Amino acid sequence: MNGQIHFTLNGEKVTSDRHANERLLDVLREDFKLTGVKCGCKEGECGACSVLLNGVLANSCMVAMGSIEGSEVVTIEGYSKTKRFQALSDAYAQTSAVQCGFCIPGMVLACEALLAKNPNPTDAEIRKGISGNLCRCTGYNAIVEAVKIAAREGKGLW
Amino acid sequence: MVTFSNGYLVDNLADALKIRSEIDVTPYAGGTDLMVDAKEDAVYLFLNKIPELRRIYSDEQYLHIGAACTYTEIFENSLSPQILKDAIDYLAAPAIRNMGTAGGNICNASPKADTALIFYVADAKLRICNTSGERILPIEDFYVGRGKTVLQKDELLVEILVPKQGLEHYYYKKVGARQALAISRVAFAGIFTTENGIITRCAMAFGSVADTVLRFRDLEALFVGKSIAEAKSLRSQFIANYEQAIVPIRGRVSAEYRKSVCMNLLEDFLTQNGI
Repeated sequence: MNGQIHFTLNGEKVTSDRHANERLLDVLREDFKLTGVKCGCKEGECGACSVLLNGVLANSCMVAMGSIEGSEVVTIEGYSKTKRFQALSDAYAQTSAVQCGFCIPGMVLACEALLAKNPNPTDAEIRKGISGNLCRCTGYNAIVEAVKIAAREGKGLW
Repeated sequence: MVTFSNGYLVDNLADALKIRSEIDVTPYAGGTDLMVDAKEDAVYLFLNKIPELRRIYSDEQYLHIGAACTYTEIFENSLSPQILKDAIDYLAAPAIRNMGTAGGNICNASPKADTALIFYVADAKLRICNTSGERILPIEDFYVGRGKTVLQKDELLVEILVPKQGLEHYYYKKVGARQALAISRVAFAGIFTTENGIITRCAMAFGSVADTVLRFRDLEALFVGKSIAEAKSLRSQFIANYEQAIVPIRGRVSAEYRKSVCMNLLEDFLTQNGI
C-alpha cells in the first residue's frame, strides 16, 4: 500500500522509500550522499539547500518527498557536469567569489536559475536573483561580478 | 491516486475532495509554510499536481487564480493585476516564490500574508469546495483569527476570484527589516477610484497589525460619494476614525510602532490621492 516515490535525480531515474512528509534535503544528503546540498536553516531563509526542481530554483528543506513524485531534481553534483557550470565556475574563480564555500552550491544554482530566465541580467536583477541565498563571507559583490562575467564569456550557453 | 506512507498524491480535484471527506489530512500545496514547522506525524494531501488548482483564467467579472498556483506563476501571468504582482515582487525570494502558493498564503491564515492583504483590498472571493458542492465567500469572512479559518475538514480552497475591474489605481507599501525574505512589519494596500470627480471607492487594508488583515468598510464609506474637496474637509475625521479603529498587537515590533506606521501610510495614501 505504501508506494515508493519515483523521481529523476541528476538525470537518473531513482526511487525512495522515505515517508512522503520527509524533507527532500535529508533524502538527498543521507540516502543519495549528495552533500553538496547544504543544510543551513531548514526554514527557507538561507538558500544553502537550493536545488533545481523541474527546472526552477527550490529550497530542498521545504519540499516534502511526496510532492516530487515524477519530478526532475538537479543538485550541484549533477549541474557541475554542464558547460554552464564551467562558465560560472571560471567566472567565480576570476573574481574570487568563493571564500568558505558553504553557500556556493546553492548560490551557483540560483545563478543558473537566473541566467536561464534572463541571460543578460543587470546588477539589480542579479542581486534579486540571489536574494534568497545568504553568503556571510564575500559581501556579494564578487558574486555579482562573476555572474556578469559568466553571462558575457558564456554567451550562447544560456 | 498514489498512496504513500504519510501522504496522498492525487491528480484531480474530485479525488482530492474524496480524500478530504474520508481522511484527516493536511492539504499541501507549496510546502513553504508547512515545512518550516514540519510535524513528524503529518499526513499530507499533495495538491501540486491537480490541474483544476493550477489554472489562471478570466471570465467577464473575475480573474480566477487556482489555489495551488505559485507566486511565480501568478507574477508571470499577463492576466494578473499589477497590485498583486507588486506584492509578489517583494515577497520572500525566488526559490520560495517558485514553490509557495496563493492558496497556501491564504489558508495559513497569517495576518502577515502578503497576497492575502491584496485579496482583501481587492474584494476578492474564495471558492471553496467539498464533495457535495461549493460555497463562495468574501475573503474577510474566511478568517476567524490568527491561523484560524472557516475551512472545514472536508473542504479545499479551489480558487481565488479577483474582480477584474477597478484595481488600476492602487497604493502598496510593505515595511520590513530588509528587502528579501522579510516578513512584513506592516503592510498597507489601498485602492482609490473616482468617477466624474466623485469618489466611488477608497479601500484600505492593513497587514501584520492584528490577528487578521484589517479592513474597515464602514469607515471607508465616509468618503464614498464625496468629491475630493469634500473628502479633504473630512480628512481629519477620517484619520481619527482609523486612529481609533486600529488596535495593533505587539509582535516582533511594538504595537506603538505598528500603529504609527499604519497611520503614516494611511495619510500618505490620502495625500497621494489629493485628499
